[in-house]
Amino acid sequence: MAVSFQQIEERLRNEARRLLESGEVSLMLAWGKGYDENHPMPYVAKCPSDADGIVFNEYCTHNMARYLVRYPRGTRIAIAVKAADSRAVVQLIQEDKVKRHDLVILGIPAYGIRNPKTGEVVDGRTTCGLYNPVLYDILIGEEVHGQPASPPYTVLAEYEAMDKEARFAFWKKELDRCIRCYACRKACPMCYCDPCFIDQSKPRWGEKSPETAGNLMYHLTRFHHLAGRCVDCGECSRACPVDIPLYLFHKKVAKDCEAMFGQAAGMSIEDKPVLVHFRAEDTDNILK
Amino acid sequence: MLKKIAIHQLPDLASGLMGKGTLVAPVRQDAGFQFREITDAKQVDLNYHNTVISPKSVFFPQTEDFVRYRTGRPMLEAETVEPEGKPLILFGVRPCDVKSFEIMDIHFSGTGPVDPYWQARREATTVIGYAFDLSATAEPEEFYRTLGIGAADPEGSDVFMVRRGDELLLKSITARGEALLEAIDDLAGASADDGKFFDDTVAAGRDFKTRFACVDAKAVTKKLEDLFHNTEFWEKAAAACLSCGVCTFACPTCYCFDICDETLFGRGTRRRVWDACMFTDFTLEASGHNPRTKVYQRLRQKIGHKYSYHVRKYGVISCVGCGRCTRYCPVSVDIFSIVEEAMKT
Amino acid sequence: MRSTNPYIPMPVEIVKITDEVDTHDIKSFRFKFLNAQDEARFQYLPGQFAELSIYGKGEAPIGIASSPTELGYVEFTVQRAGAVVPGLVTAALHDMEEGGRIGLRGPLGHPWPIEFLEKKNIVVVGGGFAFTTLRSLVQYMLHGDNRSRFGDITVIYGARTPGLLCYKDELAAWEKRSDINTIITVDKGNETWKGREGFVPAVCKEVAPSPENAVAVICGPPVMIKFTLPVFFDLGFSKENILTSLEMRMKCGIGKCGRCNVGYRYVCSDGPVFSLAELEKLPRDF
Repeated sequence: MAVSFQQIEERLRNEARRLLESGEVSLMLAWGKGYDENHPMPYVAKCPSDADGIVFNEYCTHNMARYLVRYPRGTRIAIAVKAADSRAVVQLIQEDKVKRHDLVILGIPAYGIRNPKTGEVVDGRTTCGLYNPVLYDILIGEEVHGQPASPPYTVLAEYEAMDKEARFAFWKKELDRCIRCYACRKACPMCYCDPCFIDQSKPRWGEKSPETAGNLMYHLTRFHHLAGRCVDCGECSRACPVDIPLYLFHKKVAKDCEAMFGQAAGMSIEDKPVLVHFRAEDTDNILK
Repeated sequence: MLKKIAIHQLPDLASGLMGKGTLVAPVRQDAGFQFREITDAKQVDLNYHNTVISPKSVFFPQTEDFVRYRTGRPMLEAETVEPEGKPLILFGVRPCDVKSFEIMDIHFSGTGPVDPYWQARREATTVIGYAFDLSATAEPEEFYRTLGIGAADPEGSDVFMVRRGDELLLKSITARGEALLEAIDDLAGASADDGKFFDDTVAAGRDFKTRFACVDAKAVTKKLEDLFHNTEFWEKAAAACLSCGVCTFACPTCYCFDICDETLFGRGTRRRVWDACMFTDFTLEASGHNPRTKVYQRLRQKIGHKYSYHVRKYGVISCVGCGRCTRYCPVSVDIFSIVEEAMKT
Repeated sequence: MRSTNPYIPMPVEIVKITDEVDTHDIKSFRFKFLNAQDEARFQYLPGQFAELSIYGKGEAPIGIASSPTELGYVEFTVQRAGAVVPGLVTAALHDMEEGGRIGLRGPLGHPWPIEFLEKKNIVVVGGGFAFTTLRSLVQYMLHGDNRSRFGDITVIYGARTPGLLCYKDELAAWEKRSDINTIITVDKGNETWKGREGFVPAVCKEVAPSPENAVAVICGPPVMIKFTLPVFFDLGFSKENILTSLEMRMKCGIGKCGRCNVGYRYVCSDGPVFSLAELEKLPRDF
C-alpha cells in the first residue's frame, strides 16, 4: 500500500480537527485507542482536541456506519469509512435513515485489515473484498486500482455444492450454537429496526430461549430482512462470540439478489433499495 | 491429601470421575472451549486458557424449566420441574471462575428467598479447580489480581489442580474433595517435593501479574454513585457500546434472567432464560415507560451493578476479572478501563 | 417441594369479577385458593403485591387490592395493558370468567409500614387506577379491630371522569362514615356528577391536611405524583412522612432476576413501598 496506516491516522486526525474546528460537523465517527494496540475501538470525536484520540491501524475492522442512526436526524456527522463501510452509508442514504448532505464521508482505501480476534486478514472471504470506498467527500490515502484479490462469492462454492437437506443440516448445526446475545444484529449497520421483530411479544415470532426453533426463526428471518440490503461488511460474523459463519448466508442471498435484479446493495445513492422497488421487467425467479 | 497423575492419563482420570457423577469439563468445540457434560473420557481437554461461556451455566443454565404444561389444558395438570440434585463433578475451573460461585451464592442462596435450582446443583457439585499456567503471561483482558484473586488460589474448590511438567498434581481442599480423591484408583501418591511445588505455585499465583492496580471496593462504590448523574462521562464511556448481550452472557457473575412462557406445538414451559441489562426492552414497563432507553444508561447500570450496587447490597464486587466481557466484546469495550477512568474523573 | 420453590404459583379460582369503570378496561378479580395450606401461607398486609400467573401467557405483578381483614379471598384490580406494550396476562385475565383458574405467587414485597403508621393521622392520596393498594390500606385501617390504632384518616381520591372511579360502592360507604374524611374528585364531571371537580394536587391544597403527627401515602400516575408532592412539602410534611409505591418492570418478585433495581435496591424485594427520604438517596433511574 502506497500510503501507510500511520499516514492515514495522521490525515484522519487532521481532517477531524479541521472539520470540528470549523463547525462543519458536530462529531466525527472513527476509531480510537482500545485496551491494547490490537484492539482499537469505535470512537466519537466531538471537539477538536478529541482528534488526537483517533487511531488507525490494521485492526480497525469496525464499520462505523452502524452508529449513524444513533444520532438525531440533522446532526452533521463526519464518518471515516473503508470500502464495505461506505456501502453501508450509501444503503442507509437509500433507505432515508441519513441524509447525504448531513454527512462528510472520509473514504479510506485499505487492504490488509485484520480481524483482532483471529489475526486473519479480512478480505473477500468474509466481506465484499473491495479496496476502495464507493462514495466519499475526502479521500484519505490513494485509491487502489485493479481487481480485488479475493472476489466476494468464491467462498460460496462449497456451500452451493450442498443440496437443500445438507444446507439445512449445516445451518441447523451452526445456529444451534447461538446464545442469542444479538451481537450480530447490534453490530450490523442495516439492523436498525426498533423493536426488532424477535423482541415483539404480540405476535411472538420466536422464542427467547437459545433452542433450535427460536434460533432458526431469529437468524433465518434476519437473513431475509437483509436481502438486497446486506453490504457484506462481515461485522455480524466478527461480532459473534461463537463464530457462526453468518456471512455465508448473507453472501448467498446477496449473490442471488445481484443475479436476479442486477444490483448490489449500497453501490450508488441513485439506486433504490432492490426489494422495495418494483420494476415490470423484474424476474419472477424469486417466487420459485 | 496430595495425589498426582501423568497428563497422558487424563482420560483415565476422567473416566474415574465419570464413575462418581456427571462429569462436566472443558471440551474443544467449533468456537473455542466450553464446559460440557462428558460422554467420552477422551473429550476432556486441558489445553485451554479459559472457556467462552463461564461455568456459571452449570448451576444456572441459560434456560431452566420451572413448569411444563400442555396448552389449553387445566392448570392443575401442569407438572412442576423439581430442582436437580444429581451428583456432578465440575472439572478444570479457573480460580477466578471458582470465586464467581461464591459471589453468586450470596445472591442466589445466601440472601432472601433461596433459589432452589441454584442451590440443589451447587450442593450436589464437587468443584475441581485448575491453576492458570504461571509460566505464561496473563491474557491482556484479564484482571483477576486487581480484585484480589490469585492465578492459583485453591480456595472455593473441593480439589485443586496444578500442572507440574507432564504431571497433574491434585490436592484436596475440602472433606468432599478428599473423599473424591480417595475414591479414584488411577492416582499416584505425590512426593514432598510435589507438595512444595504445589504450595509455591499457589504463592506465586498471588504475585502473578494481570492488568490494573488493586481496587478499594468502597472507594469505587462511592465514586460510581457520585458519577451517576455525570451524563457526559457515561455517554463517552458508552460511545462504542453496541448494547448487545455478549458481555453479560459470557460473564461468570451476571445473573439477570427473564421468566417466560414458551409454547410450541401444544407443549408449553414456564422457564427462566438469561436476560441482559444491555437489552433495550429489559426495563420496558407495561405502561410503555422505560427508565433506560439510552445505551449509556444501560452501560451505567451494568457497571454500577457490578462495582457499586452489588458492593452496597452484598459487600463484594460482582466481578472476578476473568476478562470475558472484554475479550468477546465486538467493539472491545473494556469494563475495568471505564472503572479506572471513573476513579480519575 | 412446592412450599419451598418460590417460582411455582399456587392455583386459585376466580369467584367474582367486578367491572370497575365505564371504559371496561379495569376489572377487579376476587380469587379463592384451591388449597387450604396455600391460603394459610398467603399472609399479607396492605401494600404488598403478587404475581398473577397464567400458563402459556406469563406473569404480571399486581398490587393486592383486598385487605387481610377481608377473609376467605384475595382480590386484585387489573387494568388491561396494551396501549403501548401488549399485556398478554392482563388481556387473558380480562377474557376469563368466574370459575376460571389461574396461578398466584406471593405475597411479594414490603407492605405499607403499618407500625410506623400507628397512632398517626393518615392522609391517603390516590389517582385513577393506582388506588388499589391504598384501598387495601383504607379497608384495613377501617376494620373494627384496627380503627382505634390510627388517628384521623383522610382519603383524597381522584379520577379523570366519574366513570373512571374504582370501588364506587366502597367510596359511597366511606362517605357515610364519620370516622373517615372522604374527598372524591374528578378532573371533569358530567351531567349526573354532583361531586367535586378538580385535579388531585389542587384538591390537596384546598383540603390542606395538617402535617401534625401525620403521614401522607400517595399513589397515582407520575404526573399526579409530580404535582402533588410539592403541595405536601408546602403543607409541612417531611420526606420521611411521605410514602409512595414505585413501579419498575419485574419478573421474579423475590430479588433474584435483577430487573427492577434502582441503584442498589430492588423495587420488588426492598420496596415497592418507599418513603420520599429513601427515594432521594437512590439514583434517578426509574
